[in-house]
Amino acid sequence: MLNFASLPARSSTFRTIGLTGHVRISQIASFSTKINQADGRKRDNSPEELASNSHLKSAPIDYSNNAPVNPKKKRPLLSDSKYESRLYQLPKWKEALGEIVIRSFNLDMDKVRSGPVAGSHYYAMCKEQGLQFENEPLSATAKFFYEDLKLPRTFSQWFQITILHEWILFVRMRAMPFKYGRNYQQKLVDRTFTDIELRLFDEMNVNSSRIADQYLKDFNSQLRGAVFAYDEGFCTDDSTLAAAIWRNLFGGRKNVDMIHLEAMVRYVRAQLYVLSKMSDREFAMGGFKFVSPDETVHRLTPQEEAVMKKAVAEKYEAMDKNPDLLPSERSKLSYEN
Amino acid sequence: MSAAVRGAALQLVKHLEKLPEERLKHIVSLKESQLERFKAVAGLKAGSQNAQQKPSLQEIKDIINRTSGPLGMPKDVLRKVQDALPQENLTVEAIQEQNQSLGHILNNKYRDYYSTGDKLLKPQGNPQYYQRLMDEIEGKKKETFWSAMRTVVLGK
Repeated sequence: MLNFASLPARSSTFRTIGLTGHVRISQIASFSTKINQADGRKRDNSPEELASNSHLKSAPIDYSNNAPVNPKKKRPLLSDSKYESRLYQLPKWKEALGEIVIRSFNLDMDKVRSGPVAGSHYYAMCKEQGLQFENEPLSATAKFFYEDLKLPRTFSQWFQITILHEWILFVRMRAMPFKYGRNYQQKLVDRTFTDIELRLFDEMNVNSSRIADQYLKDFNSQLRGAVFAYDEGFCTDDSTLAAAIWRNLFGGRKNVDMIHLEAMVRYVRAQLYVLSKMSDREFAMGGFKFVSPDETVHRLTPQEEAVMKKAVAEKYEAMDKNPDLLPSERSKLSYEN
Repeated sequence: MSAAVRGAALQLVKHLEKLPEERLKHIVSLKESQLERFKAVAGLKAGSQNAQQKPSLQEIKDIINRTSGPLGMPKDVLRKVQDALPQENLTVEAIQEQNQSLGHILNNKYRDYYSTGDKLLKPQGNPQYYQRLMDEIEGKKKETFWSAMRTVVLGK
């Protein structure tokens, strides 16, 4: 809780055992199952390659609806608070005081951690995926959404991209022990709406709080509808998921490109697959990162999975046994599932 | 439009018909909108099926209660966008690609390849979550007032 600034550094060590890095994938690629072979096409396409290979050239009807966010005053990614700045280093005495408080009140760090991990770290990750500003170059993921999939560059489209990614995290959070998972979800949603409210005022130049409230209510019902539709798609079949993505992400546009839909289904299912292979502990510590659309996720063989699980177990066993482990780094969540 | 394009579109229409019906009615439906779009290309009469499946008054009320118009798009504009048939220059290759992609979606290629297993489908924190959702959608088991209250209080 107290040293959020150290989180990115810590999570990068987790990533070495994660599935998603470039290196890791190229290692796995040599002995992956061949998903595309039956097509006689190129063997494995990342969602981005898949989408950009399409020969359907028709421009979406709503494509002219291009209104990149053009803020008078740009907000920082998370907040103005110095505690959320990546550069800020907490003074040692404050850190020590925090550790004493945690130890003497025996605080449940798994619960406390939900704020900085889900509320800041994961929210920032979801927010970044579709973030776009006028006269600023798009990030790689944003390029996939706005250029390859030809989605309109608007604020509400950004919101749709963000909630799609949040839903992906919700699915994993449900699989955590109930009280923690619930807390993580709550923190993520709370943060989303606080941030949107501030963005509406500062970046979208909404002046009236009544109008902002209307927008927020609308966003809220979009979030509920999207989570419901994606959940239905996730537990049934790909066509339902594709229809849910079409209605929400693509705004129900008529001349949709099926290849784009397929690429999105692939993108979503691949993220969920990576999440399903991640232990509660790693996920709760902020160790997950979305797989970029230009990367391909290959299924792990049982041997690879065993090796990965063993590495994770060893790492956390050593951590739990370490008598010098700081009270703020303790966790009771399982690292074996 | 050439005969080859029409033939390819006909194939696609046949494929589109295999898309499952939605369990809940929404303002727009992927299946119907795509059928309408490609039936025009294939030279088939569109709308004959639509007429039979007009939503009932109850369904319309249900949709209105659930959703408001998308942001910044008044309902009549939305309707116009939905009714406009896009002018497209379709090639045989493009349509065949559409067909192939649709095939992958229909075959659940990615669900089966990236199968997450029971870890996510029967999540530890709330194992009945998806089951209850599906039961409610399909109308198999209705939530009662008390079970709903229980969800509100306990969260699951």
